[in-house]
Amino acid sequence: MAKNDLIIRVAGEGGEGIISSGDFIAAACARAGQEVYTFKTFPAEIKGGYAMYQVRTSPDKVVNQGDTFDVFCAFNGEAFEVNKHLFTPGTAVVYDYPGGDFEPDALPEGVHGYPIPMSQTAKDLKSYRSKNMVALGALSVLFNIPEETLKQVLSDKFGKKGKEILDLNLQAFSKGKELAQAMEKTDSFKLADPKDPKDVIIISGNDAAGLGGIIGGISFFSAYPLTPSTEVAKYVSIHLPKLGGTLVQAEDEIAAVSQLMGASYAGAKVMTSTSGPGLSLMAEMLGMASMAEIPVVIVDVQRGGPSTGLPTKHEQSDLFLAIHGTHGDAPRIVLSVEDVKDCVDMTVEALNLAEKYQNPVILLSDGSLAFSTQTIPTPDPSSYEIINRKRWDGEGEYLRYKLTDDNISPMADPGTENAMHIATGLEHGENGAPKWTPDNHELMHRKRFNKIKPVVEEYTPVEVDGDGDADVGVITWGSTIGVVREAVARLRADGHKVKGFYPKLMWPMPVDQYEEFAKTCKKILVPEVNFQGQLSHFIRSETSIQPIPYTICGGLPFTPAMVVDKVKEVI
Amino acid sequence: MSVAALNKVQMKFKEYKSEVPVVWCPGCGHHGILNGVYRALADAGVDPTKLMSISGIGCSSRTPYFIQSYKMHTLHGRAGAVATGAQLARPDLAVMVTGGDGDGFSIGGGHMPHMARKNVNMTYVLYDNGIYGLTKGQYSPTSRPEMKAYTTPYGGPEDPMNPLLYMLTYGATYVAQAFAGKPKLCAELIKGALEHRGFSYVNIFSQCPSFNKIDTIQFYRNLVQEIPEDHDTSDLGRAIELSRPESNGGKAPMGLLYKKDKPTLDERMQEIVEKVGGHADYDVNKIIQMSRP
Repeated sequence: MAKNDLIIRVAGEGGEGIISSGDFIAAACARAGQEVYTFKTFPAEIKGGYAMYQVRTSPDKVVNQGDTFDVFCAFNGEAFEVNKHLFTPGTAVVYDYPGGDFEPDALPEGVHGYPIPMSQTAKDLKSYRSKNMVALGALSVLFNIPEETLKQVLSDKFGKKGKEILDLNLQAFSKGKELAQAMEKTDSFKLADPKDPKDVIIISGNDAAGLGGIIGGISFFSAYPLTPSTEVAKYVSIHLPKLGGTLVQAEDEIAAVSQLMGASYAGAKVMTSTSGPGLSLMAEMLGMASMAEIPVVIVDVQRGGPSTGLPTKHEQSDLFLAIHGTHGDAPRIVLSVEDVKDCVDMTVEALNLAEKYQNPVILLSDGSLAFSTQTIPTPDPSSYEIINRKRWDGEGEYLRYKLTDDNISPMADPGTENAMHIATGLEHGENGAPKWTPDNHELMHRKRFNKIKPVVEEYTPVEVDGDGDADVGVITWGSTIGVVREAVARLRADGHKVKGFYPKLMWPMPVDQYEEFAKTCKKILVPEVNFQGQLSHFIRSETSIQPIPYTICGGLPFTPAMVVDKVKEVI
Repeated sequence: MSVAALNKVQMKFKEYKSEVPVVWCPGCGHHGILNGVYRALADAGVDPTKLMSISGIGCSSRTPYFIQSYKMHTLHGRAGAVATGAQLARPDLAVMVTGGDGDGFSIGGGHMPHMARKNVNMTYVLYDNGIYGLTKGQYSPTSRPEMKAYTTPYGGPEDPMNPLLYMLTYGATYVAQAFAGKPKLCAELIKGALEHRGFSYVNIFSQCPSFNKIDTIQFYRNLVQEIPEDHDTSDLGRAIELSRPESNGGKAPMGLLYKKDKPTLDERMQEIVEKVGGHADYDVNKIIQMSRP
């Protein structure tokens, strides 16, 4: 753990205000000039069940959720039980006692306990729902979260609900504060001193993907709700109409991607969001998108699979599906995101690549990023390059699938004079008419596959973390990159020769860059959150590298400590 | 259908034919329907440049190849969903789907209710021949159990569905039925569908001489019965009654059953856009600022 970090975990039962407490702490930390990375788990049930929200904050950039927590706040007995095996000497534990639903065991040696009667205090105020405010008041005092900032956040949030509700919550907050003030602070954790707030927004991965779509210029979005992707659609549904765009909740994912096809053919820039099960349903139409050369973007927020699997849990296991999921030989561009900022940037990139290459693009996010909120520099929409599809200039005969030097054929929106044509999933000649000669099928395959080849050269080179020769090179993708970054930094700080390699263009694979990196490393370790080692598989099949897979699949992300330990093991 | 796409051109119906030769079997009812489509496009004055003709897979789904327009030949069952996206993205254009009973109601059955209830502004012409023709004769959702087909050698175990009842129930705002043997009536009903603002559905019986040996042209001739002239097309209850052969001496209605004016999906979406003050040059920075901590 970095020196100035503070990690606060709040846990209890869904509906007890866990999520809002976490949001308030995160917002207050951000307003106090800190960087924030949050991490949540919640049950698949609507109400009840164990819910957890963790805020990692630091004056420096934080790139993952951390190894464990410093401060734990238990709203109930279950939360206490679930987390107590993680207590270590030094951990600070705030818990609902007396008057809560449990009698905690004696805390282990060295653990600092702060019993705060949260339930009882809220009950005394005749406002059971403000139990979390009592906790927040206590946390504010104990861990140096600026009281005024926190109160301001509460006012902004509850102000809309009326003065009465706000006052009640502020009252509970003050009670919590008083209760904590009467206690002796014995642990060493505190939020770093406040600084001037940075020019940041605080946003979740899913909202950021929606924002990326909006910055990227979508005018049509259709999706079917699917955890953990639904907030992308929610964000777009709030904001796209302001830009005059069209949003549909489709009857299923097949309809969603089909609607994208129609809308894109008609001239719109289009996007959908889904998770693995939905992407499976879209697979057939993705083949047609390749064949008919129609730009579509799919944001796949991966969850635990197969089947309905672990709907609310983190996994990175759709890589096989994203790259090869359809029948026949179909070219595909697949990107992945490292963090919340990437959810904005790479969504714009995905739209650009889809438009430029007239091809489906799949952007892989994951369950960890979906709900993780992070402070990111306030995006400047005018700083993004926006690419639109090549359109016909009106000269000569219009051929939809014209063979050109760059294999990209100009498109003509319906309504254009003298350019009527057919878009089809059947193999076709340059004019779109079915053509099934052996020569033509090969020729057109070559056109479609060669078309996307330049992506590898044009795309930003893969980032290499560290220099010189290394004993271990760690290659990873998705949100695991943030974890590996910290692990590599710690290992290097300890004098180990370790490097990191973080591809975001998953397909086509920048094979040369992989090879070049591997040349400088004795061993290659590939941590990823799936059972089969899906990226390892592609590295083995596409390059000469023989990686050591390191896979976990318990529904949770890696921690930096896990990667540090594994690297030490393979060195 | 979009006003912009209508009555813009004066073209003879032959001019709507593309250069692609029609490939259906001799004696197939689809020829008659296609003639009806050409005539309807001409009579409605549809500008081919502003027409998006969309289909799925099957014999009838070849139709877009044969007509002058922008067109998409898509996947099994998906024409309606593709058309929905195309219409919403370009409400200024006209959208027409042509497809068969298997394509629409079996593999594409999940989309049909939603186009109807959402009142997507498009025309769906369904060529109903009670068989899968392009895969050489399997039973379809509208096949009668008497039919011994490729995959029902002993007859069918299922009762057929009733497309008219289905569409009326799901809220289609224009529902009509015709028979391929009457291309003039086909043309008239399709023209009405093209001119209707909202989801218009025209079911057309079409004999398949190659694979459906029981639903012959003679069978359909005996089956259909023109809707009484005094039928009130705004009366949903009566339309539902007419759609049920059980209550009409086994006869299937021919003509316009139902027509209703109702805001279309794109109109309602436009209302939402206006309500939130939406316009294409809205400042995205305002949206971004909402995520300040």
